[in-house]
Amino acid sequence: MRSIDYNEQLEHEVLAALRKPNPWYWVALVICALLFGMGLTLWIYQMLKGMGVAGLNNPVGWGVYITDFVFWVGIAHSGTLISAVLFLFRAKFRNAFNRSAEAMTIFAVMTAGLFPLIHLGRSWFFYWLFPYPNQREIWVNFKSPLIWDVFSLGWVGSLRQWWHYNRLYIFLAAFATPLVISVHSVVSWDFAMSIIPGWHTTIFAPYFVAGAIFSGTAMVLTLVIPMRKIFRLEQYITLNHFEKISQVLLFTSLIVTYSYIVEFALAFYGDHQFEAAHFTYRLLGDYQPFYITMLICNSLIPLTLFFRKLRRSIVYLFILSIFVNIGMWLERFVIIVTSLAKDFDPYSWGLYTPTMVEVGITVGSFAMFFMFFLIFAKVLPVLSITELKEEASE
Amino acid sequence: MDRRDFLKFLGISSGTAMISSCGVDKANEKIIPYLIPPEQDVYPGKPVFYNTTCTECPANCGLSARVNEKVYDEVRGLFPTKAEGVKGHPINNGALCPRGQASLFRLYHPKRIQRPMMRDNDGNFRVATWQEAYAYVTTELQAAKEEKKDNLYFSGRTTGTLAGLIGRFCEEMGIERLPEFEIFSHANLRKANEIVFNQPEVPHYHIKDADFLLTIGADILETFVSPVSNAAQYGEAVKNENFTWYHLEPNLSMTGLKATTRLAVNPHSEIYFLAYLLHALSRSDIRKRRPSWAIMNMVPDPSAEEVSQKTGISAENLEHLVSAFFIAKRPLIITGGVSTAQPGGLEAALLTALIQAAMGMNDTVVDFAHSQNYEKVGSMLDVQELLERLRNKAVGVIFISRSNPVDDISANFNFVEELKNARLRVGMSDFMSASMQECDVVLPLSHSLESWGDAAPRKGIRNVIQPAIEPQYDTRTEGDVLLEIMRTASGQKQGPDYNQYLIEQWHSLYGESETVSLIENGYIEEPVSPLSIAVDTRSVESYLKNTDFSREVAAQPVLIITPSIRTYDGRSKVLPLLNEIPDPLTTVTYGEWVSVSAVAAKKMGLKDRDEIQISVENENLNYPVKVQNVLPENVYMVQRGLIYAIKTDIDSRSGEASWYLDNISATKTGAVIPLPILSGSMHEEGRGILSSHESVVEHSEHYNEKLKEEVDVEEERIYPKHPHKNYRWGMTINQDSCINCAACVAACYVENNIPVVGQKEQLQGREMSWIRIEPFVRDDRDIEFTLMLCQQCDNAPCEPVCPVYATYHNPEGLNVQVYNRCVGTRYCSNNCPYKVRRFNWFDHRLPKPWDKMYNPALSVRGRGIMEKCTFCVQRIRAAEDMAKDEDRLVRDGEVVTACQETCPTKAITFGNLMDDSSRVSQIARSDEAYRVLEELGTEPAIHYLRKKERKSEA
Amino acid sequence: MKRRIMPLVLSAYFVLFIIFVVLLAYFWNRDSKTPVQPINFSHQIHVSKVGLQCTFCHDKVDKSTFAGIPPVQKCMSCHKNVKTESPEIQKLTRYWEEKKPVPWKRVYSFKIQNYVYFSHKRHIKAGLDCSKCHGEVKLMPQMKRVRQLEMGWCVSCHKANMAPTDCVTCHK
Repeated sequence: MRSIDYNEQLEHEVLAALRKPNPWYWVALVICALLFGMGLTLWIYQMLKGMGVAGLNNPVGWGVYITDFVFWVGIAHSGTLISAVLFLFRAKFRNAFNRSAEAMTIFAVMTAGLFPLIHLGRSWFFYWLFPYPNQREIWVNFKSPLIWDVFSLGWVGSLRQWWHYNRLYIFLAAFATPLVISVHSVVSWDFAMSIIPGWHTTIFAPYFVAGAIFSGTAMVLTLVIPMRKIFRLEQYITLNHFEKISQVLLFTSLIVTYSYIVEFALAFYGDHQFEAAHFTYRLLGDYQPFYITMLICNSLIPLTLFFRKLRRSIVYLFILSIFVNIGMWLERFVIIVTSLAKDFDPYSWGLYTPTMVEVGITVGSFAMFFMFFLIFAKVLPVLSITELKEEASE
Repeated sequence: MDRRDFLKFLGISSGTAMISSCGVDKANEKIIPYLIPPEQDVYPGKPVFYNTTCTECPANCGLSARVNEKVYDEVRGLFPTKAEGVKGHPINNGALCPRGQASLFRLYHPKRIQRPMMRDNDGNFRVATWQEAYAYVTTELQAAKEEKKDNLYFSGRTTGTLAGLIGRFCEEMGIERLPEFEIFSHANLRKANEIVFNQPEVPHYHIKDADFLLTIGADILETFVSPVSNAAQYGEAVKNENFTWYHLEPNLSMTGLKATTRLAVNPHSEIYFLAYLLHALSRSDIRKRRPSWAIMNMVPDPSAEEVSQKTGISAENLEHLVSAFFIAKRPLIITGGVSTAQPGGLEAALLTALIQAAMGMNDTVVDFAHSQNYEKVGSMLDVQELLERLRNKAVGVIFISRSNPVDDISANFNFVEELKNARLRVGMSDFMSASMQECDVVLPLSHSLESWGDAAPRKGIRNVIQPAIEPQYDTRTEGDVLLEIMRTASGQKQGPDYNQYLIEQWHSLYGESETVSLIENGYIEEPVSPLSIAVDTRSVESYLKNTDFSREVAAQPVLIITPSIRTYDGRSKVLPLLNEIPDPLTTVTYGEWVSVSAVAAKKMGLKDRDEIQISVENENLNYPVKVQNVLPENVYMVQRGLIYAIKTDIDSRSGEASWYLDNISATKTGAVIPLPILSGSMHEEGRGILSSHESVVEHSEHYNEKLKEEVDVEEERIYPKHPHKNYRWGMTINQDSCINCAACVAACYVENNIPVVGQKEQLQGREMSWIRIEPFVRDDRDIEFTLMLCQQCDNAPCEPVCPVYATYHNPEGLNVQVYNRCVGTRYCSNNCPYKVRRFNWFDHRLPKPWDKMYNPALSVRGRGIMEKCTFCVQRIRAAEDMAKDEDRLVRDGEVVTACQETCPTKAITFGNLMDDSSRVSQIARSDEAYRVLEELGTEPAIHYLRKKERKSEA
Repeated sequence: MKRRIMPLVLSAYFVLFIIFVVLLAYFWNRDSKTPVQPINFSHQIHVSKVGLQCTFCHDKVDKSTFAGIPPVQKCMSCHKNVKTESPEIQKLTRYWEEKKPVPWKRVYSFKIQNYVYFSHKRHIKAGLDCSKCHGEVKLMPQMKRVRQLEMGWCVSCHKANMAPTDCVTCHK
């Protein structure tokens, strides 16, 4: 039980972040805005010229855009999980990350929501993906996982808007957890429902959910650590909090690693010619450097978190989180691209190299995310004052 | 005289409309009516067909031009939109090769010469009028004559009425007509036939009548003399259970890969084999006529071991071959192409002719009475002589018509420099080729689809050439040009034009009623007088006296310059479609390359696209590499159609230019050159695509059992089975007949408005072909091909993943792609195991005026849309529309897809699988039928027929 | 207050995007219902007064996918002698003499003309009256589009009449 002074100090310090925009803040914001503008321009360019400005080709119809989509959806869902699941489990350390995680969720959904549009050959007809009543009397195809995607994303988006009603919070948290799991399962079914070797597998749903929490947790770390430093919130976001979250990171990393092993085991134990050929290719083929990097980032480096000392090292955690972000992005890239590059008919095999347009739009999406986050940091209190006060008063 | 007047003149009233105008189809845009309606009913949905002649190569197949009414540039008019073969034509019977299919790209080529051109005082081209040009040429002809210089007429192979007119023109104008110029002049073959039979001709080979075929070097299915005719005959022959075909070649050709047994021979060793065969036959009692002892004594008689050692054919195979020859009832031996165009080629052709004579083939399968009209074609000796005369400044005016000698023989002769010594150079062509650039007067010729004329592809056949479109530019036919020059020279004001000249000729040759049938059918068969062919022993003896048969077999690497199925001798290189379609053997599209054997490539550490330098004597040539399995180790191949700049030997006896560069050395340069190779991998890895694969055999047996027992294939499934109403369209592909010529690919492109995307896109792996030929290496000794197109699966993986129902299964069993509904997620393409869906990465409209060729029966897809094979749904719908008018169902054979229509060997059958009596369902039920990747459970509608076992020996 | 900003930003973000697309679609395709024709041709006079059948001029309507516009020659077959004093007919005569086809303006078209393959023939053979789609043309002094040709309208009629609704019926 702490004094009223604590509450005043808390308000003062947390809200202080809202008042003093220092020059570096503006520099960062402007850079993000410019890069975001560049991304938008490139998208318009792509719509006017055609999808061909991306590096996609005949076997590889999906590339960086879908990678980005899955990546950002993963980030978004993890944010939800942090606020909802940990709330349900009454995990105290959650409060420190809660607000950032929520903001992150919103911005990640906004970013993720753009990519299905960006990757459409005819983006201007995106509304055909919605089952709206129309004079043509044509409906959407409910058999398609892409339609399930549309619905699941729609759900997440509208959920956000009710989010802050405290009374609903516990109900929503209870509701959100299975939702997140099912929504991310649906995203994984984009792949699992196909017949492409490497995609067509039943482990994809848990594999993707674990991956989402893993990457999302890492992204929370990437965002919170500098924020904590800049806004001097050390007192509220403590090392204990970091230790807890890095335990989550370690746990999900182990799940993800397990999935990597299972994938190979299934392919070879199943003695399925196409699957076996695919996983051999994934490990030894053209995209091997990506795959190896991914393994190092996602499976090897997080193992260091077994050491308590490293779990409590802020700098280490920050670096680690960057590696995990890279690793998880690569994981999606490797899954998507290697499966498509070499599937059934050897004649149509082909490689994919992203172009500057795709890189630009990806950079733009990150810029958009960080831009919104920077604005958030100035406009809203970065920590949930109520919850911190509640925590303090208990 | 326009088409209408011409026909009126002939008294043909039934015929054929021509062109006026009417307008565009967009919101409030103009719709322009005809001023005067066409005579014949042509309207949207009902095209007309004009039977004419393909002039893309000397084979002169019958071409049926489909003419559609449509709107172009706000004008309603009639445009040829597709080239098809003339049904029942004695040469090609409804089929065309890829070059013929692509000939519309020549008709509408933006780079055609549009009006006459002459040099101004500075030596630059300026636009001229025809009158001006005629007057100038006439004066120059006169002036040259006064200078006592020779006026010369140099042209490509010419047959029919035009050949006669050129003769008359030269006679009247005092011009010397030079032997005709063809790169593939078959000079050795004709020379040998002259020596042996007194027939300096290329005979017509009755392949379909043979039960044993032995081809040596002749790529009969690709470019040899009349490839579509050969292929059509092969399609007939292969139906015969006992048909056996041996192919011997030093290189690797698609023809060889179709033979029952392909045997690789060492370069320049064919004559040992032929001499051995000749002796073996003449010793046996199966020969029909014994060659004279005098001759036989002069031909070396190598032992089997010696032949085996020289040629590289194993003794066992040699024995098999000879005994197969022995038991054959109607054997046929053809030597040509790469085996005659070499230093020992004349001997090879001569020995072949002796074998033909000994086996009595001249009475049956080797037909000189219907020979290929090559007697006026010259050889490189004639070119040498011409250059000599130019060098001596003895040439006044030289006409260069329908040929491009500057490019074609640039490596051997400095034609450009020597040509400058002529007084005046008059060029006649449709393109501003390198040769035309050297001329002073350039007279643009109309395309054959814009002109009247005729052609005699071989003796006994006369083809009509008739316009399917009015001349688009200020061009003339060659006949008109010649008549006008003659008239200008004689000072006449009026005279018959070429059309009237033609009519006179036809009337005098065939009479009026036959002339009408010539125009309506597109061809006429004339009786030919039989020839009695006998060996001219004396001429053979005198030839053999001076012949040295010992030929050094190449031990060092050789470079062989082969003709190309896509560009022939290079003349079709200007047609973008032929660059877009991959060379079937290598799957290379744009660019030049050298094929290097897999063994040599491994030794040199070469991969596809690595550059190598080929050095011969003092010359170096740099090309990117295509690693070619099955190719013998020390053989390198380039395609003549792509590469000009290689100097080769010329046989001083016949004038045949060799296709070989001996004793080359090849080194890796280290550079990598972007070369579009469409095949992702040449190795099938037992994936159940090739017919020889065990799982395919197993599956097809399983499948056939299911079909035979009529067991319901119903298995547990989430979604119910598709119901089919009246039709379930299906296709069968006979892989024994299919010769991988890519005619279907070209036909599909033109019929379905498939975009031609160009080299840059192809390098990115974004080809658009709906149907493709996939080569796969089998056991490193053989290459098998398969035809891949949308399988129209019953359980199509593409269908359930489309979020907007842009692709769905229709009640007739088609996987329909609704272009305007597609949003472009590309999920369908990802999920297609056959990878036959094509995405429009950009707007790829053909540039003007090529877009005149668009088929108005289906849409031109914009960017961001997925497209794929539709089984030519526009043709299905048209047939159904017709059937509905008569209140019946579509009959078997009424719907003909574009690929099926143009197939020379009739390998493709299309029809209704629900109709048990249709041809397609009968073939689909045969024991050989299998489906690709059957184990995925996609239930394709396309059934392949397993290949018979064949053998290829390196 | 501040709590509401986030959802506001979010909804504004998506709403703006949708408005942008709707505007784009609205301005994409606009054309007049009664285009001004080069010659003031009256269907009313020709059908109601003179009593010509539709197929007299549009003679391909039961054979072709398109109804067809009569060739100028057909107009002239009567108007060589009929009503030659009218300035509109004189315009027609001028086109004829200059050997230029009349640049009529299209009244009916599909929004995505390139992708729609409508057959007049099939509809006439099915016994449909021209007025079913084109309205009472015989009463129109100036040709007027009575309805936008929209797919929903096609489909509802097809469904009512048991006509095929397979996409390839019209889209190829």
